[in-house]
Amino acid sequence: MSNKTKQNYLNHPKGIMSWLLTLDHKRIGLMYLFSGILFFFLGGLLALVMRFELAAPGNDIISNEVYNNVYTLHGAIMIFLFIIPAIPGALGNILLPLMVGAKDVAFPRLNLASFYIYSFGALFAMYTIINGGVDTGWTFYTPYSTQSSSNVVPMTLGIFIIGFSSILTGLNFIATIHKMRIPGLTWYKLPLFVWALYGTSLVQITATPVLAITMVLLMLERFLGIGIFDPALGGDPVLYQHFFWFYSHPAVYIMILPAFGIISEIIPVHSRKKIWGYKFIAYSTLSIAFIGFLVWGHHMFTSGQSVFSQIVFSFITYFVGIPTGVKIFSWILTMYKGQVSFTPPMFYALSFLFLFTIGGLTGIFLGAVALDIHLHDTYFVVAHFHYVMQGGTIVAFLGGLHHWWPKSFGVMYNQTIANIAALGVFIGFNGTFFPQFLLGLRGMPRRYATYDEQFVELHSYSTFWSGILGISIFIAVMNLFWSFIKKNKVDPGSNPWGGMTLEWTHTSSPPHPHNFEEEPVLQHGPYDYDKVIVDKTYKK
Amino acid sequence: MSEHHITPLRTYLIIAASLLFLSGVTVWVSYIDLGSFNIVLAMFVATVKASLVAFFFMHLLWDDKKNLTMFLMSLMFFGIFVTITMLDTEFRGDLGLNPETKDPINKRAAFYDTLPLTDTHGHPVDEHSDEHHEDKDHH
Ligand code: HEM
Ligand SMILES: [Cu+2]
Repeated sequence: MSNKTKQNYLNHPKGIMSWLLTLDHKRIGLMYLFSGILFFFLGGLLALVMRFELAAPGNDIISNEVYNNVYTLHGAIMIFLFIIPAIPGALGNILLPLMVGAKDVAFPRLNLASFYIYSFGALFAMYTIINGGVDTGWTFYTPYSTQSSSNVVPMTLGIFIIGFSSILTGLNFIATIHKMRIPGLTWYKLPLFVWALYGTSLVQITATPVLAITMVLLMLERFLGIGIFDPALGGDPVLYQHFFWFYSHPAVYIMILPAFGIISEIIPVHSRKKIWGYKFIAYSTLSIAFIGFLVWGHHMFTSGQSVFSQIVFSFITYFVGIPTGVKIFSWILTMYKGQVSFTPPMFYALSFLFLFTIGGLTGIFLGAVALDIHLHDTYFVVAHFHYVMQGGTIVAFLGGLHHWWPKSFGVMYNQTIANIAALGVFIGFNGTFFPQFLLGLRGMPRRYATYDEQFVELHSYSTFWSGILGISIFIAVMNLFWSFIKKNKVDPGSNPWGGMTLEWTHTSSPPHPHNFEEEPVLQHGPYDYDKVIVDKTYKK
Repeated sequence: MSEHHITPLRTYLIIAASLLFLSGVTVWVSYIDLGSFNIVLAMFVATVKASLVAFFFMHLLWDDKKNLTMFLMSLMFFGIFVTITMLDTEFRGDLGLNPETKDPINKRAAFYDTLPLTDTHGHPVDEHSDEHHEDKDHH
């Protein structure tokens, strides 16, 4: 890589309009990244409000009504405004074309349009907050959501709109993966992150329309009184849950598959070892995406659905554990006898393995009907999905940010602070959410602003550690941004971790506006650490 | 990319005629009382029509087979959704422990209050007949 690359996508072209109207996937990815982190902080703030309210029983800080609004907004913002759109939108956009050796995604204009559709939908969600909130929970269950006088309409409209952005991004990624690979980059030579994005995109385009339909049906009932979910009008309230979870269970794979992809990149690079079971990981992605469509009823074990379907859903849910387990074992075997270095990305990857395994296994517990009837709508479920979504997805996202930060921005953060923050996230996270498993087992229901005396101890632990968790995440993110302000530049040709995929070997850091100065020629597979020696180069 | 396929005008006309014919079929069968099978038939005809449009007017038949795969996948996912949901709706209350949960839905409800309720044969029924529903006496 030459040293003379002064021009990069960050400094060329210049001017605010060149950003707002950019068709460059890296700039669009950056805009997703900033909006995503903004919403992450907003959602996080709401979470802390809840935790402090729950530090002691009684209504100390906020009323029951406000609490209902806070947990609804926390969930809706984190899921619909941050995790689902912004993680594929940010890391996917920045990396996918680089990884397949393309100049951009297949449809750059559509890509920009997706970002604006997302922003437009987000405006509705923000309007909801200003206008007094919404109190149905992020699931908008009927009959309450057709009756509640809070802002169900703007919120669901916002989610409806953001759904289109998801669909278009998915479409764009699929077309890019099919059509834009450089010659010689066959399916089995693709980095596993690309496979993960492929699986995610498939789920996005097949499941998201059902979310849109669900929201439309909700409106039809609210405004026109058409009986879809209201039994008095000939509707079926449980049908709402079928619709909602037919989207939202696959949506949990929209959330976790990119995380799997990130981990599949971090572990081999930071262990300097060929990934174990490439094809297993690639195909388990597709099979998770598919099985994910057959298990939605495990969210409905207490809804009164037929016992026949309870059994079917419970049975199929167990199958999800197989491809998931395959991945976990593949990652562990990749590290075995590797040269593991404890860099910040690797710390996050190791945290992920630990936390996601707990989250996934407790998911299997909840998939057992008999057990779930007791645990449904308790803190056990809250702990489960935070272990997978925060301990899994967000920890992987932070790991990915640390891994690709020098690539994306050409600067290196303070690695010691990053490691300390990563440790803080790990400890703070377990401190916050492990007690919630115990609370759930003891019968503490979710979505309550107060509780009985017997739960005080565990709740106050949870609140204490949530403070540590919040501070650690804040430090981790600020440490990243600080490197940007301090301009702690890495050499444009550097490859600080010794990665083997095209974005490390063939582009400068930060990349050229058109990604590659000439079309890259593939010299080796993405993880050929057994065949080729790649040096770690950082600064001259 | 595969080269452009030119469809003869004749094909378009035949398809257009079939679409019109099938619309007629939809209207015609709506007058025949087949019970809940009416909806199945209506959906079937609609699916056939949509497929004709996709295959001929939108050239899916001559297009890259990946696009066809996508189309078939969407049908498959729709099928999965409906079939598995019916494992619930068709067997709701299957343990029979609680008579209240057997058939909790008012299947004769009207969309608008202004329309009189009718039974499956279109005869008007009393609004409050629900309270002495025959089913409940069996348990
Ligand atoms: C290893 C596979 C997994 C299994 C078997 C599983 C199983 C379950 C089950 C049975 C429930 C319902 C509990 C109840 O409401 O009573 C549940 C809830 C939930 N799971 Fe998982 N899960 C798995 C992985 C994941 C992943 C990867 C995510 C997201 C990244 C996730 C997110 C959620 C969420 C958000 C809920 C709660 C939804 C709500 O009611 O608000 N799960 N899971
Ligand atoms: Cu689920």
